[in-house]
Amino acid sequence: MSVLAPERAPAQEQPSVETSTGTRRKDFAGAVLAVPFAVLLVGTVLVPVAYTLYLSLFTERLRGLGFSGPEHVFVWLGNYLKVIADSAFHASLGNVALFALIHIPSMLIGALVLALLLDSAVVRLKQVWSLAVFVPYAVPVVIGGLIWAYLYSPTIGPIKNLLGVDPLSDTALLPSIANIATWQWVGYNMIIFYTALQAVPKEIVEAARADGAGGLRTAWSIKIPVIRPTIFVAAVFTVIGSLQVFTEPMVLKSFTGTVTSTWSPSMYVYEAAFVAGDNGRAAAASVLIAVICAVLSAVVMRFSTRRSAR
Amino acid sequence: MELSPALRTRGLSRRGFLRATAALGAAGLVGGCTASAAPPGATTVSIWSWLTGMDKYVAAFNAAQKDVFVELRVIAAGLSGGYAQQTNAIRAHNAPDVLHVEYQGLPQILLTGGLRDLTADMADLESQYSPAAWRGVRPDGRTWGVPMDLAPMVFYYRKDLFDQHGIALPRTWDEFRTAAAAVKQVDPQARICSFPLNDGSFFAGMSWQAGDPWWTAQGDTWAVDIAGEGTLRTASYWQSMIKDDQVAGVVHGTQDWIAGIHDGKLWGLLGASWSVGTLNRSIPKDTGRWAVATMPTWEGKPANGIQGGTAFGISAESKAPEAAMTFLRWLSTNPEVPKIGSTFTTPFPAHLPNRAVARQAYKGGYFLGDPVYDVLDEAAKRVPDWTWGPNALRLFSTISDSFGPVRSGGTTLPDAVRKVQQHAVADMRARGLSVREGKTA
Repeated sequence: MSVLAPERAPAQEQPSVETSTGTRRKDFAGAVLAVPFAVLLVGTVLVPVAYTLYLSLFTERLRGLGFSGPEHVFVWLGNYLKVIADSAFHASLGNVALFALIHIPSMLIGALVLALLLDSAVVRLKQVWSLAVFVPYAVPVVIGGLIWAYLYSPTIGPIKNLLGVDPLSDTALLPSIANIATWQWVGYNMIIFYTALQAVPKEIVEAARADGAGGLRTAWSIKIPVIRPTIFVAAVFTVIGSLQVFTEPMVLKSFTGTVTSTWSPSMYVYEAAFVAGDNGRAAAASVLIAVICAVLSAVVMRFSTRRSAR
Repeated sequence: MELSPALRTRGLSRRGFLRATAALGAAGLVGGCTASAAPPGATTVSIWSWLTGMDKYVAAFNAAQKDVFVELRVIAAGLSGGYAQQTNAIRAHNAPDVLHVEYQGLPQILLTGGLRDLTADMADLESQYSPAAWRGVRPDGRTWGVPMDLAPMVFYYRKDLFDQHGIALPRTWDEFRTAAAAVKQVDPQARICSFPLNDGSFFAGMSWQAGDPWWTAQGDTWAVDIAGEGTLRTASYWQSMIKDDQVAGVVHGTQDWIAGIHDGKLWGLLGASWSVGTLNRSIPKDTGRWAVATMPTWEGKPANGIQGGTAFGISAESKAPEAAMTFLRWLSTNPEVPKIGSTFTTPFPAHLPNRAVARQAYKGGYFLGDPVYDVLDEAAKRVPDWTWGPNALRLFSTISDSFGPVRSGGTTLPDAVRKVQQHAVADMRARGLSVREGKTA
């Protein structure tokens, strides 16, 4: 959710006037220049991924009181089956699904509306506004979580008095967590959308206006369709981010007992690895989350290309 | 991630909490080594610890002699990363010579097979330790650690308010219920104390008092009895207190809790020895209002739980176990250590002669009534038998997860306790441990 690739420019035709030696030298230079990237990719992505896959196939088996130490056992897909059958893992997926249901629409619609308002001539002090909405993104997630946790605290925070509901009770917890995430990310996505809106060709907008379209109609029929690919990319990142939500519930956990230690899938992994000390199960759960992320992203992208092609 | 009940076992002040939170993600990188270099010919001993003030103890030890040089690395506290880091180091065969273990975490560390059996090295010291601490490092009858301190639970209360409104200090849990109602009658917004549901080590300490240990090592088998009679009695009692709205639910150490004790909305605290520090830090201006007493008892039978306490183990792969033992003996039994500790905290050493030193070094004045160390001493004497199981740390999460819906009526404490028992047994069996349900054979 933190990196958004710029839209790819249409591929340029390569002028093929190079001599064969020139090409070879260029290949060599290319290989040398790619080394730092390759080293980082292998060292920080591929090796850890491979090691996670390896770990996920093993478990530590104990005997008796357990004080004689563990024995490493190859268990095939045993850890995966354990995670898939674990009701705590199901509950964590259910929690992030509900979280996503609240967070994704409110965040994307909020960011889009704010971006369109900024883009329209209606708003004065554009920079002040955009900065104000963007600032929460600059606040570290833990600090943001703590700020909200204090606001949510039933006796010292104002929110319980304002709404009449304890934001940390088990009924209100989900919207409370979604609210922190939305607050944090709406400005970031607004900037993305606003930047995309700058690239909407002025002629189309002017033509629409000449045809008598008002501000709302222009936004709905011209601007939104033009930036639709950007919206879908943002949606993909938000889906992945929702599935990986960790810090917000983790911070709230020390303020209320209603956040369980396995509230989200990422917290499930954390609990397995760092509390239960079960690295095999933690690795298997991580792999499953990665697979779910990949499938969901593919679904959103498929949906996006189909809509764009229409 | 830095937010866990383990923090609370050392007393979670607001600043400590913020500091811990700010360190998020850097768990493995926290800390530095002691600056000076080893004198020539000295044996170097490495130690990982999160004990407050350990740097000062190590500096004093290194200055006091030339044979052993201790290198300290401060690691994240307990469940905030400390245990994971130590466990992984043992797995990777690069553990330090000395490891930080709490009594409650010792059996879990032992599952790695990474600790050295210290039975012979420690045999001569048995009589010098508080029996509760001695048992804490001997879960299966072998000695696996050197006790440092322990934290008996005690009841802190607003003596000024209790006296002013003629409420007698409750000595039994029945009297406690009456006192709770009296507090609520004086001020409908006030409660006698909080009973936090998201702190497993707190609930364990409260259940400990009832005298039915959750685990017992019997030969080669763990007897697991979390839903035993004593624990269920504890659970039913607090269930009724919660249902009747006689206790608050705020988590100890949070801003809500500090506001509560600061504003006179919480008249007491079911705390441990380290709560002296928590109170001093959270409400430094409340001098002359609070007093300490041993916990109310079940039908007048003196008993008292423990919440926390530190010990140190030596790595099974240590190249310098004798030197490590030299340092740990000094750390645990040298009177210099509590003297240093008293300058920045209220230490409650497991070593009895050192406890006398700490008592003398204690600067009183904050509390009314009985001297703090008298009460803590008495509390430490009343601690019933208890063994921590190899899944205690994980169980704390299970407890807090299962207790979450209690306050909204989604479940009751006794039901949740029974669920925790099932969880614990299933979890231990899944790991291959030999488990028997219920108390004894």
